[in-house]
Amino acid sequence: MDNNTIEAAVVRIIASTIHVEEERVTPDLSIGEIPEWDSMGNLSIIAALESQLDVEFPMEDLFELTSVKNIINEIKTIKK
Amino acid sequence: MIAIEHSPLLLAINANAERHPDKRAVCIAGSEEVTYRQLMERIRSVTAYLHSQGLKQGDRIAISAQKDLEFIYVYFAAHALGVVNIVVDADSNRKKLDYILNLMQPQMAFGFECTQCRCIEYKDIDYRCPEVNDIPNLLADDVADLIFTTGTTGLPKGVQLSHANIFGSADNINHFIGNTAEEVEVLGLPLCHSFGLGRLRCTLIKGATMVLVGNFANLKLFFNAIEQYHATGFGMVPAVWAYIRKFSGTRIVKYAHQIKYIEIGSAAMPLTSKEELCELFPNTRICMHYGLTEASRSAFMEFHECSSRLGTIGKPVCDKVDIKVFDDNGNELPDGENGELCVKGNMVMKGYYQKDADKEAWFGDYFRTGDCGYRDPDGWLYLVSRKKEIINIGGKKVSPVEIEDVICALDGVEDCICIGVEDPDVVLGEVAKVYVLREGCKLNFEEIRHAIEGKLESYKIPVFWEWIDEIPKTSSGKKQRLKLKK
Repeated sequence: MDNNTIEAAVVRIIASTIHVEEERVTPDLSIGEIPEWDSMGNLSIIAALESQLDVEFPMEDLFELTSVKNIINEIKTIKK
Repeated sequence: MIAIEHSPLLLAINANAERHPDKRAVCIAGSEEVTYRQLMERIRSVTAYLHSQGLKQGDRIAISAQKDLEFIYVYFAAHALGVVNIVVDADSNRKKLDYILNLMQPQMAFGFECTQCRCIEYKDIDYRCPEVNDIPNLLADDVADLIFTTGTTGLPKGVQLSHANIFGSADNINHFIGNTAEEVEVLGLPLCHSFGLGRLRCTLIKGATMVLVGNFANLKLFFNAIEQYHATGFGMVPAVWAYIRKFSGTRIVKYAHQIKYIEIGSAAMPLTSKEELCELFPNTRICMHYGLTEASRSAFMEFHECSSRLGTIGKPVCDKVDIKVFDDNGNELPDGENGELCVKGNMVMKGYYQKDADKEAWFGDYFRTGDCGYRDPDGWLYLVSRKKEIINIGGKKVSPVEIEDVICALDGVEDCICIGVEDPDVVLGEVAKVYVLREGCKLNFEEIRHAIEGKLESYKIPVFWEWIDEIPKTSSGKKQRLKLKK
């Protein structure tokens, strides 16, 4: 999976999980910034990313995953 | 000049504005803030604005409960004018919102777009309108707020709360928790529900400081607010505690020394979470409430004080509140017997807006919660289940919550939901069926069944097992078991 594919997949999964348009899921979007991305939405997003991209976020890293950009970078690191 | 004599809430806020005018009343985390003097001035200005828009005593406005100062101004200004607030979550599903607006026919809406009436953006409020001179004749028993319950069954029900009700609730809570004017509370809960809005009222009548954060999703922002504002307390629902633990481990312990109180409510909390909170916050008053929008915070318990009985929902919050256990005919039951919990008190609603719903809601002047429970000989109350969700297995009443708790306590099970279904052998009437959340489950049904044997009486072991992709829950996190009943 190359970097562009990862970025597109993360945006697609986030958007479909919380039922928003992909255009709203920009790299700078932070969790909690839109009503749909609340704590319950975040739980669903993390679960969807882990199952669909076959990754497991280390517990200690979850606290740092506060934006789309952070999430993309974390997955790139795990996939290396 | 505005009317405040009918509203003990406004009287208290006004008294705080006179006592310590320059103290911070409400802060939007990392952004603007108002002192008590500014808050009262703004409430007066917005009262004049609402009056200038033609609103008068008995009218209704729909207000979107956003974490904005403007929402707070409009909310209290409506109280001053005798206009009823229909507090809504504008981000909730449109069908529910349309039902509420079509039913209530508000004169105006604030903070969101709708087709049913004139809509005003909060930013368009004019703060320079001339003061109101004709003071309406208002009473503490007049309806102040109308909040629609999510409702686990049927259509949302409009809960009518008087000025006296909403003050009474806040006063009861402060009394139990022991809050003072020195508190600084960080609120991540939504303001559209009874819990969050109640916390705001508790803080403002005490003359304390409320710090509003968007929600709990970004825990970094929540922790930053605790640190930056030297917070002494916060409120949360059990699901938020699970979220805090999953996403931040025990980082929150860093603030345990400064957190004097935590209020918890809205859903059942696993025993292990309660024990964990006791360990992590040894010197904090951890107060869990039992209540409904209709009878806000009816009972309370404090974890440390109840360490030997963490399963209780507590006792009535104060001596202005009474809770009795009634049978189906409204007769009081003796201690130890299961029946319907019914509440009387200063915070119990005036009634449902929909008269049909109201007819079934009372035994005399006791509000019927629909929840099943009992009182032990020492007066501690225990919740067994929602009445209609009780599983009747061969005449034995079984709480689905008990089965769920045992299964959810297993390592490798994330969540489950349990209901009663017809016994195919037509012997027991009903048997238990469990839906296990597929996501994250590391055990198969046989392994789960084996693991719970011996932890539950044999008749409580579910007969039917099924995977589920999502547990149906209300927005406040309550499991909607009736949705799975066919």
